[in-house]
Amino acid sequence: MVSYSKAKILVIDDEDALRGAVKRILEREGFSVVTAENGARGISLGTTDEFDLALIDLKMPDYSGLDVLREIRKHKPNTVCFIATAYASYETAVEATKMGADGYILKPFTPEELLNHLNSGFKKRVLILEAEALKNEREARLLEIAFERTRLNTVIKSLADGVLVVNTDGEVVYYNNAALKYLNLQDIVIGRPILEELPREIQDLIFANFTSEITEKKSFSVEVEIKPKHELVVEATLSPVLRQSGKLSGVVIVIKNISEFKKVEHLKSQFVSMVAHELKAPVAATLGFINIILNKEMNLSREQEVDFLSRSRVRLGSLLNMVNDLLDISRIEMKTVMREIKKLDMNQIISDTLGMFTADIKKKDLTVIFEPKENMPEVRADHGEISRLVTNLVSNAIKYNKQSGRVEITCCQQKNYAVLEISDTGIGLRKEEQEKLWGEFYRAKNEFTKDITGTGLGMPIVKRIVDAYSGKIEVESKYTEGTRFKVYLPYNLTDDELNN
Amino acid sequence: MALIAIIDDDPDILDASSLILQTKGFEVITASNPDDGYKIVKENKPDVIILDVIMNEPDDGFFLAQKFRREKIMTPIIMYTSISKTLGMQFDKGEMVPVDEFVEKPISPEQLVAKVLKFVKQPVEK
Ligand SMILES: Nc1ncnc2c1ncn2[C@@H]1O[C@H](COP(=O)(O)OP(=O)(O)OP(=O)(O)O)[C@@H](O)[C@H]1O
Ligand SMILES: [Mg+2]
Repeated sequence: MVSYSKAKILVIDDEDALRGAVKRILEREGFSVVTAENGARGISLGTTDEFDLALIDLKMPDYSGLDVLREIRKHKPNTVCFIATAYASYETAVEATKMGADGYILKPFTPEELLNHLNSGFKKRVLILEAEALKNEREARLLEIAFERTRLNTVIKSLADGVLVVNTDGEVVYYNNAALKYLNLQDIVIGRPILEELPREIQDLIFANFTSEITEKKSFSVEVEIKPKHELVVEATLSPVLRQSGKLSGVVIVIKNISEFKKVEHLKSQFVSMVAHELKAPVAATLGFINIILNKEMNLSREQEVDFLSRSRVRLGSLLNMVNDLLDISRIEMKTVMREIKKLDMNQIISDTLGMFTADIKKKDLTVIFEPKENMPEVRADHGEISRLVTNLVSNAIKYNKQSGRVEITCCQQKNYAVLEISDTGIGLRKEEQEKLWGEFYRAKNEFTKDITGTGLGMPIVKRIVDAYSGKIEVESKYTEGTRFKVYLPYNLTDDELNN
Repeated sequence: MALIAIIDDDPDILDASSLILQTKGFEVITASNPDDGYKIVKENKPDVIILDVIMNEPDDGFFLAQKFRREKIMTPIIMYTSISKTLGMQFDKGEMVPVDEFVEKPISPEQLVAKVLKFVKQPVEK
């Protein structure tokens, strides 16, 4: 801010004596003074430099003081200008004021008179500058706020969650497009009442918890099914907006799409109930047998007892298999067991697997064709997982084969993939059976499978292992004729991809 | 003599329940899927039907029971439920579930016989 003692003053007068005297008086007071001996010079100085004050003679040979005043005003509106004149008339005074003169000094003047005028002029100058600074500051702030608003707006608009702000009259104050989508509304209009269009659950929550009496900033959440069958389920979280006074001014509703989460949750509980049922069946059968054996009135013969006991043993054995398979599934899903990634010789794994099934192959009199390819690049994977994959497929090819049928296995490189093919001449799968094949506990029920036991977890395990290596599995089958499974395992997986 | 039809896809359950009822002097016919079950009921007109809830598909048993009722076969139906109540499935007798009794698995001879005797007289034991 300017200080009075350092004020810059422009003195414009064609009278050398007066100019000199004024300069002296003012410099004595500590002002810095610049003088101009005519109007032209005065204009040029006064419009280029910013002076605090200007003293302009009204009558000059080249310019009228009023012209000089107008020019300076035009360029430096904050310079406080005084008109000095010996010909005081009401008209010129009015005209000078109209043109923006801040004061009128009558000639001749005493030094005191001059200083008094300049003094009040300077005060005015300070006020003007202060106002100006304030205005500038406010404008800057406004700009900043406007900028802040658009930025916030952009942020909220691009949020994945829906945002809806409602005032205490139930009118929309703000919303974003995600809110529109997640509430399944055609449109939302700012300023219009919205409460009745909101889902019942949200309305209830608002009416129950957001009364004018609330003082606490507490949020409430509800889950709302917007579209049935888990197609669109949202979680709405409602938070109060409180005024400085603590009074409720509105409610912010944040709407999160939790459909996927709900779907998974539903699948999970379906899975649990399915598992429970599958586990319960053998237990129930076994306990039923035991209840009969222990019941005196049933009077079982020894043969009947042995029959029931051995059937119980079979059921418990399959229960154990099922539990082991389930543990495998959960291990793969939870990734609890660290994979041991090694370079695997696929041919070796296939031969080893076939070795495990020698007895079954003989019993069914199957012809197994497997010619290991030379130069088969090694696959980087966990030995246990790949063995389990091959075992499950080979086991099925044998189990669901016909007496004296064939099993053919090939493994080769195709571009970036190791491709394992296992085909059999077994009972095959109907189209609808092929589609359900990957579901947990699914077992095709037809005249051929009646007497084949299994848990229906083999294929789900295979699928999970293939997925874990970003691979692909295809099935081709013809009912009563045979089935071919093709597994693609990518070669170029990074260590990160292999370990997660 | 009272004839009981048992329809369940678990051969062990079929044999165990048959044995229990036969020991008590009932005559028993069995089927291991809904279609065969429908057939044996139509052909033999049993005095009681024992039906498992889940066979090939969940609710197979319910659908079969509904089919019987639709066709005015009003034979008492006892339903085997292997779903525990703790799983949240509550069965109520009614139009949707037109059955007369429930027996929870695992079966015990006393229980099964007691439920069957609600609908037919005890045969003279062999
Ligand atoms: N090669 C095949 N030929 C014909 N049907 C098959 C073949 N592989 C699988 N299936 C069908 O798919 C079903 C599911 O197979 P999956 O391996 O998951 O179960 P499973 O063999 O019955 O039991 P397990 O868990 O003991 O392997 C089988 O019950 C069978 O009906
Ligand atoms: Mg299998």
